[in-house]
Amino acid sequence: MSVTRQAPAALVAADDATSAAVATGSWHAGVWLLWALAAAACVQLAPSPVYVALVIGIASMVVSIHARPGPYARAFPMLLAVGVLFAVVRMVLTVATTHGLGDVLFSTPHFGLPRLLGGFTVGGTVELPVMLQSLNEGFAIVGVMGVFGAFNSVVSHSELVESTPRAFFEIGLVVVVGLAFVPATLSAIHQVREADRARTGGRPIRKGRLLRQIVPVLELGLERAVTLAESMDSRGFARLGASTRDRVAGWWGAASLLMLAGAFVALVGQAQTVATLLGLAGAAGLCAAIVLASSGSRRIRYRPRHMRRRDWAIGLVTVLAPLAMATVSVVGDSSLVWYASPLAWPALHLLPALALVPLVVPALVPPMEAA
Amino acid sequence: MSAISLRDVSFAYPDAPGAALSDAQLEVFPSELLLVIGASGSGKSTLLRTVNGLVPHASGGRFGGEVTVFGRSTRTHHPRDLADVVGFVAQDPESQSVVDNVERDIAFVLENLGFGQEAMRRRVEEVLDALGIAHLRNRDPSTLSGGERQRCAIAGALAAAPTALVLDEPTSQLDPQGADDVLHALARLNTDLGTTVVLAEHRLERAAPLADRAVLVADGRVGAPADPAVLLSAYPGAPVVTQLGRALGWDPLPLTVRDARRHALAEPLDLAAPQREDALVPGDPVVRATGLGVTLGGHRALRDVDLAVREGDVVALFGRNGSGKTTLLRALAGLVTPTRGQVTVADGASVAYVPQNPGAMLFSATVRRELEETLRLLGHRDAAVVDHWLRALHLDALADRHPRSLSGGERQRVAIAAVAVGGAQVLLLDEPTRGMDAPSRAALEDAVHAHAKAGGSVVLATHDVELAARCATHAVVLGDGDIVADGDARTVLAGSLFAPQVLRVMPPFLTVREVETELARR
Amino acid sequence: MTTVVTPDSRPGLAGRVQPAIVYSLMLVVGAAAFLYPFWLPASAISSQAHSGDAPLVAAAVGGLVVLAVTLELQRGTMNGATVALLGMLSAVAGMLRLIDLPGGGSGIFFLVVLAGAAFGPRFGLLLGMCAMAVSAVITGGIGPWLPFQMLALGWMGGGAGLLGRGTARLDPRLEVLVLAAYGWVWGFLYGAIMNLWFWPFGRGGALDWHPGLSFAATLQRYWQFYVATSLGWDAAGALANAALILVTGLVLLRSLRRFAHRLEPAVEFV
Repeated sequence: MSVTRQAPAALVAADDATSAAVATGSWHAGVWLLWALAAAACVQLAPSPVYVALVIGIASMVVSIHARPGPYARAFPMLLAVGVLFAVVRMVLTVATTHGLGDVLFSTPHFGLPRLLGGFTVGGTVELPVMLQSLNEGFAIVGVMGVFGAFNSVVSHSELVESTPRAFFEIGLVVVVGLAFVPATLSAIHQVREADRARTGGRPIRKGRLLRQIVPVLELGLERAVTLAESMDSRGFARLGASTRDRVAGWWGAASLLMLAGAFVALVGQAQTVATLLGLAGAAGLCAAIVLASSGSRRIRYRPRHMRRRDWAIGLVTVLAPLAMATVSVVGDSSLVWYASPLAWPALHLLPALALVPLVVPALVPPMEAA
Repeated sequence: MSAISLRDVSFAYPDAPGAALSDAQLEVFPSELLLVIGASGSGKSTLLRTVNGLVPHASGGRFGGEVTVFGRSTRTHHPRDLADVVGFVAQDPESQSVVDNVERDIAFVLENLGFGQEAMRRRVEEVLDALGIAHLRNRDPSTLSGGERQRCAIAGALAAAPTALVLDEPTSQLDPQGADDVLHALARLNTDLGTTVVLAEHRLERAAPLADRAVLVADGRVGAPADPAVLLSAYPGAPVVTQLGRALGWDPLPLTVRDARRHALAEPLDLAAPQREDALVPGDPVVRATGLGVTLGGHRALRDVDLAVREGDVVALFGRNGSGKTTLLRALAGLVTPTRGQVTVADGASVAYVPQNPGAMLFSATVRRELEETLRLLGHRDAAVVDHWLRALHLDALADRHPRSLSGGERQRVAIAAVAVGGAQVLLLDEPTRGMDAPSRAALEDAVHAHAKAGGSVVLATHDVELAARCATHAVVLGDGDIVADGDARTVLAGSLFAPQVLRVMPPFLTVREVETELARR
Repeated sequence: MTTVVTPDSRPGLAGRVQPAIVYSLMLVVGAAAFLYPFWLPASAISSQAHSGDAPLVAAAVGGLVVLAVTLELQRGTMNGATVALLGMLSAVAGMLRLIDLPGGGSGIFFLVVLAGAAFGPRFGLLLGMCAMAVSAVITGGIGPWLPFQMLALGWMGGGAGLLGRGTARLDPRLEVLVLAAYGWVWGFLYGAIMNLWFWPFGRGGALDWHPGLSFAATLQRYWQFYVATSLGWDAAGALANAALILVTGLVLLRSLRRFAHRLEPAVEFV
């Protein structure tokens, strides 16, 4: 089951309300990214249903206060729904294939799949601990989905794209240009469909319709792209070309990948510490490469939306949550992970719950109002 | 000392056999407004693109000769290296914005040129004021009108304070109001800032009076620059008053209604009132709308429309953008269900709608196949009708070309042919002359006349008053979803706002041909 | 400010070796990150409960790979035509994903394959990544799964570009057939990759993963899991992929190739 099948959400509609919201006060996209990563980390560190439920509750509070007007507000319930669907499917599958752990609820007829398709048995006893355990795992996934659904609902995507480091300016520009092409493509599709109907006197003719409609849409897009390309070239695009720093950054990037490959090899060779060191070194090297390339870029952004001091402060506060949770986990707390057997209600301890409190901060503290 | 100079320039596109430009010579003086005239496909666009280096660096191909722009040669300088001296604006208002925010789009050129933050802020504010678009600064370009988008595109090029601006038919996709705004802005830039402007245009009534000199491009050859009035004396696409002056032997040829009036008052002619020689007797209503009301997306596009289209009628439908013209045509064609009232079509008659954008329909490999495709879709077998329509719209020579490689006006004609070939009696054309040059417009008029004479009817939604004056028998004006005027073409056109140029100069004549006929009769 | 910038192509051996090294490393490290269930030893994961962390760590690694490749691909070598064409195609492909076809995104696949074949491997790799990124923004689906989606689709596009180089000389209909087969295979491959990423989130079930299994055992379990959850879905998707390419490939390839010369215009001064 692939989560690439996102539930149909609506499309980008950059309107005045959205840009006004950015101006008057929501946290910077970077804050929300930190929050999402922190919340997801907390879910991973404390996968017990009780704590995951708390995180989902915090996420829905964030959405209700900070959701952007427009189609993105639906991202939260939609991703939650996808997560639930995913979890249920996993549960059904696990229950149907895993037996022998006791506490049988009921039995179903079973059949075996041919060897080519895996040769395992589907059906048989449906057991309570199996069901509860798989639901427990599924719930953690729902938690992660909910966190990122909230992220998509509250972040300003244009701000997110604009905040990409200068090293990735061209890719960021591709995404921006792509987003700007969405309304144009929509109107092209509309025009093409109508022209097709007009040609046949109002009767839609199915045969060959795909080709009749997709070719003009693509051709219109290609022609528009050429006009845009000419406009960009005429406006000096790519004038500040590659510098030596870019070349060095490229080599650094290659070296970081080499270090990551080395980390994998070390893992296979059971050398844990070496692997961790190489992995961290690779990641650090890549960050250094990005910083180098960014500093080498002589491009100055027009009215950049930097993270202000308040943004950084709130962002760092949210990071305290997974740090606190990790500390609790290292010190040792039995309630962080729940097991279905022996069967008992999941416990709620004070310390882990307190560790989750910093996640609430971006929701409750009002962002700075623009003057 | 010239600002821009072309010497022995020749160019061929990579996949085209013939030369797009051969042996072109041109000198553009600083701060002049040079008008480039020529039919579609004559090499106008190529010529303009040589100025800022898009030809050959962005298009590829074989380039000979030398183009020098303010001392820089386009052989060694790419378009991006010339961005600080030459700005370029293309025809399509909908494809020139990079970002979904007007202010940031204008700043794009400044970011590329490495400006500092304060300099960028200052320039953006100046340019927003220079073009009068400061109130649009936070808008998404896709929500703006065509005229507003073109002004934003000009602002985007102007932000770098270039000494020259090159514009390739900037108003061809705009309605008259938008075109006016753009051309006035250009005139202001030229006179107040001294920007050199090289402008290609079809709408010569508005552009010719603004130009210092004009140059004619035909078949890839560039003529010598001359005074616009002199150059237009022999050009078929000249403004109507110029054609009138030509017919009446006025000298110097007028470019504006004002100049023409002076001539008319100075040399009055005593001509009898014109008789419409091909006045068609209208027959029975073929399509009729009664009490038609259409609501689209919560907005009442049409309120209460009564309209009858008769056999042999050529109806000109006027109205501002957004007044409901397109909706009315679509309702008549049965593409939109009315919210109230109804549309009745006579027995045995059929109605076909040709949409505004030909690019939304064309997908075959050749023009002929495009027409045959319609026949195939409708299950018709008569192939002779394909040849009939190719001839009617003067497309015979282009029958084996790829439709998308044709110029804008030629594409429009192919689209009209592709719909008309279905054999509909009533043809509804939505702004067919948008971006058309004079030869295409003449071909369209011939086809419309022929179709009406053969018993069909045509409804033209248009802003083009001259087209209506030449073809229409019946004129209708829409305003905010209601019919504001409906009657004989002559009567409606005579009512101020939609008066053709000849009418303003020599009432009660509507077209140059009427004047010529009366002259011949004398 | 009259600087004449050097032409877009990078000169010399170093200019060609560097991207080759980065692309190969991208393949190796990226594939290793995808395939970690097969080679990750038990000692790497601290406890059974935390085997669900593995996908997220893999996602982080995938993200690093994406960043490294992006750094390499686009450094100051993109002209306006590349950006505009990439943006436009990403928008169309990204929107096609909203049409609910089986296989979770066949619409985006077929366009990436065809455009990759028409424009070349580098463009195909970039298009795959950008189309997924734009699609994620449009659908509001940014999450830890995104780096792998970008890599997988990038490989699909890049591979199509390499394939397109070879098939350009073939009869057009044969070329469409080859590309359709390629699209069919990738329909399964993409589903298998993304499923593989989600697999370790479960533990303790008979079909679930835990580190330390032998390669053969892991493979068998994953195959069982894949059959149970994804096979039917992906089979339909792969078929839709191939069908779309077969129906539209001939015309679309022709349309796309008309614009290919704009990416690297060849100028001849006479």
